Amino acid sequence: MTGDYRRFALTRAGQAIVVVLLAYVFTFLIISVLPGDAITNTLRDPQHGLSEEDIQRIVAFYGLDQPVIVQLLLSLGRFLTGELGFSLQSNLPVSQIVGDALPSTLTLATTALLIAIIFAVAIAYGAQYLPGKWAAIVRSIPSFFLSVPNFVIGLILIEFFAFRLHSFTTTDPHSPVATLFAAITLAIPVSAPLAEVLIASLDHESRQEYALVARSRGLSEARLFAKHLVKPSALPSVAMVALIVGELLGGSVITETIFGRDGIGTVVQKAVTGEDQPVLQAVVSLSAVVFVAVNLVADLASPLLDPRVKLRETKLKEKVGA
Amino acid sequence: MTAILSNTQLRDLGSTPRKLTAGLPPATVLLSFAVVLVVILWSLVPGLFTSLSPVTGDTASKLAAPSAAHWFGTDYLGRDQYARVVHGTASSVTSALVAVLIGLVIGSIIGLASGFRGGWVDAVLGRFVDVLLAIPGFLLAVVIVSSLGFQTINAAIATGVSAVAVFARLMRAEVMRVRGATYVEASYLQGGNRLHALLGHVLPNAYRSVLVLAVLQFGTSILIIASLAFLGYGDPPPASDWGLLVASGKTYVTAPWLVYAPALVIVITVLSVNRISRWLRNAK
Repeated sequence: MTGDYRRFALTRAGQAIVVVLLAYVFTFLIISVLPGDAITNTLRDPQHGLSEEDIQRIVAFYGLDQPVIVQLLLSLGRFLTGELGFSLQSNLPVSQIVGDALPSTLTLATTALLIAIIFAVAIAYGAQYLPGKWAAIVRSIPSFFLSVPNFVIGLILIEFFAFRLHSFTTTDPHSPVATLFAAITLAIPVSAPLAEVLIASLDHESRQEYALVARSRGLSEARLFAKHLVKPSALPSVAMVALIVGELLGGSVITETIFGRDGIGTVVQKAVTGEDQPVLQAVVSLSAVVFVAVNLVADLASPLLDPRVKLRETKLKEKVGA
Repeated sequence: MTAILSNTQLRDLGSTPRKLTAGLPPATVLLSFAVVLVVILWSLVPGLFTSLSPVTGDTASKLAAPSAAHWFGTDYLGRDQYARVVHGTASSVTSALVAVLIGLVIGSIIGLASGFRGGWVDAVLGRFVDVLLAIPGFLLAVVIVSSLGFQTINAAIATGVSAVAVFARLMRAEVMRVRGATYVEASYLQGGNRLHALLGHVLPNAYRSVLVLAVLQFGTSILIIASLAFLGYGDPPPASDWGLLVASGKTYVTAPWLVYAPALVIVITVLSVNRISRWLRNAK
C-alpha cells in the first residue's frame, strides 16, 4: 500500500508539473499572437514615461527583437527560476506588483471560500431536513445562485448595504465589513456547485442501511447528520472545493472591480487595458500553479480520507463533473 | 384540470421511465421555454417588440422612471432602456451561441480523437485539456479577449475556448462508455469500421448528455459574456449588450432601474436556460 501510494503520489506530482509548464507555454502563445506590435506600442506610450534607454533595456531583456520561440524559452527559463520580469507600464518587478496585491485577494478569497462552505452546508441541511415544500424551495437555490451574474450580486449588495443601510462605505473597500460583503458576492456563485455535491451525497448516504440502523436506535436526525452523514460527504466536497479555487481567482476580477478593492483582479484589469503582457503572463501562470497545487493536494489526500478510493481513479480529468 | 390529472395518472400506471415526449413538462419548464422563445424573438425581430430607437433618445425625458411609455425607464440620453435591452439581445444571445458552438465542435473533436485513438493521442490531448482546466476559466477568457481585441465576437470566441475542456471530457467519457459495448464489438465483427461505430453508435448515444451540457453551457456563456461586456471587453457603446447596459447604468444611482432591468433580464434568461437543461437531464 505505501509503495503504491508513493508511486501514485510521484506520478501525480509529475503530471502536475507538466501541466503547469504547458499552461505557461499556452498562455505565452495566446498573449504573443497579439495582432500588431503591442509590446512596443505599450513601451512607446508617452504616458508611461519610459526613456529610450529603458525601452532598449526591456527589449533586450525579453528578447523582443528575436523570434517568438526564443522569447518563449527565455521567459520560461526565467519563470522556472522564479523570475517574473518587469511590468511594461510601471517598470516595477512583476513579483513586487503581485506580492503587493496578493494579501488583499487572499483575504477576499479565503473569506469567500468559508462563506461558500457555510452557505452550501446550510442549503444541504435545509434540503435534507426542512418539511417537503420548503425543502423543494431550498433545493432550487443552487440553480438560482448559478443564474445571477457576480456583478449583479455585488451591485445589489452595495445598493442596499452601503447606500441605504450604511453598513459600510465604498470609499473604504478594505474595511472588514466591506470585505465581508465583497466575499459574499464572490461566494454566492461558488457555493452553488458545492451545495449540489453535498445535497447529492447526503441524499445517497441517508438512504444507506447504516443511517436506517442509526435512526432505529433512536439517534436524532441532527446527531445523525453531524456524526455519520457529514464524513462520507467530505470526499466529494474536498474535490469540489479544490475545483472552486479557480472560480474564486477568476471571480475576483469582477468582485474587486465592483468594490474598488486593490488586488490580483485589479492588477489583471490594469494589465489588460495597458497591454502589460509580463504581468498578465505571471498572474495567469501563477493562478494555474495555485489551481494545480490545490488539486494535487486534494488528490493526494483522497486515498487517506477514504481508503476505498482506488489510487488510479483520481485523475484531475475524471473529477470535474459534467 | 381533472382530465389532465387523470391522464398523467394513467400514464404513471405504465411505470416505464418518463420519456421526454410523454405528457406535458412541468409548468416551470413550459414557462422557461416561453422565456427563451421571447428572447430568441427579441434577437431575431427586435422591431416587433419596440418601435423606439435604441441609439437616439429624447433628452427632455432623460433618466425617467419606468412608466407605460418606457417600461424600463430611460437612460441619461433619454433613450428607452427597454428598446436598448431588446436590441442588445441579438449580440448577447448570438455570441453565447457562438461560444457554445466553438466549445461543442472543438471539444467534441478532441474528445472523439482521444477516446477512439487512445494511446499517445489520448495522452497528448489529455494534457492539453488539463491545461485548459488548470487556467481559471474567466481569467482565460479575459486573456484571450485582450489578445484578440475588445469586441463582442472576440468575447464569444474567448468564452468558447474556455468551454472546450468540459465538452472534450464529456465526449471522451461517452466514447469510452460505448466503445467497449458488446453491440459495438458486434458491429466491428460484421465489418463495420470506426467511422460506422462513430456515426451509428457513439454519437446517437452521446447526443443526450452533450445536449444537456450544451444547453447548460449556453446559460453559463450568457453570464461570462455579460461579465466581459460589464468590464468593457465587448463592443463599445452605443452597442447595448446586457452586461454593458448594467455597467453603464450603475453610474446613475438615482436611476436604479437602469441596472435592475437588464440585470433581471439576464437572470430570468439564464434561470430559464438552466431549468430546461435540468429537465433534459432528468427526463430519461
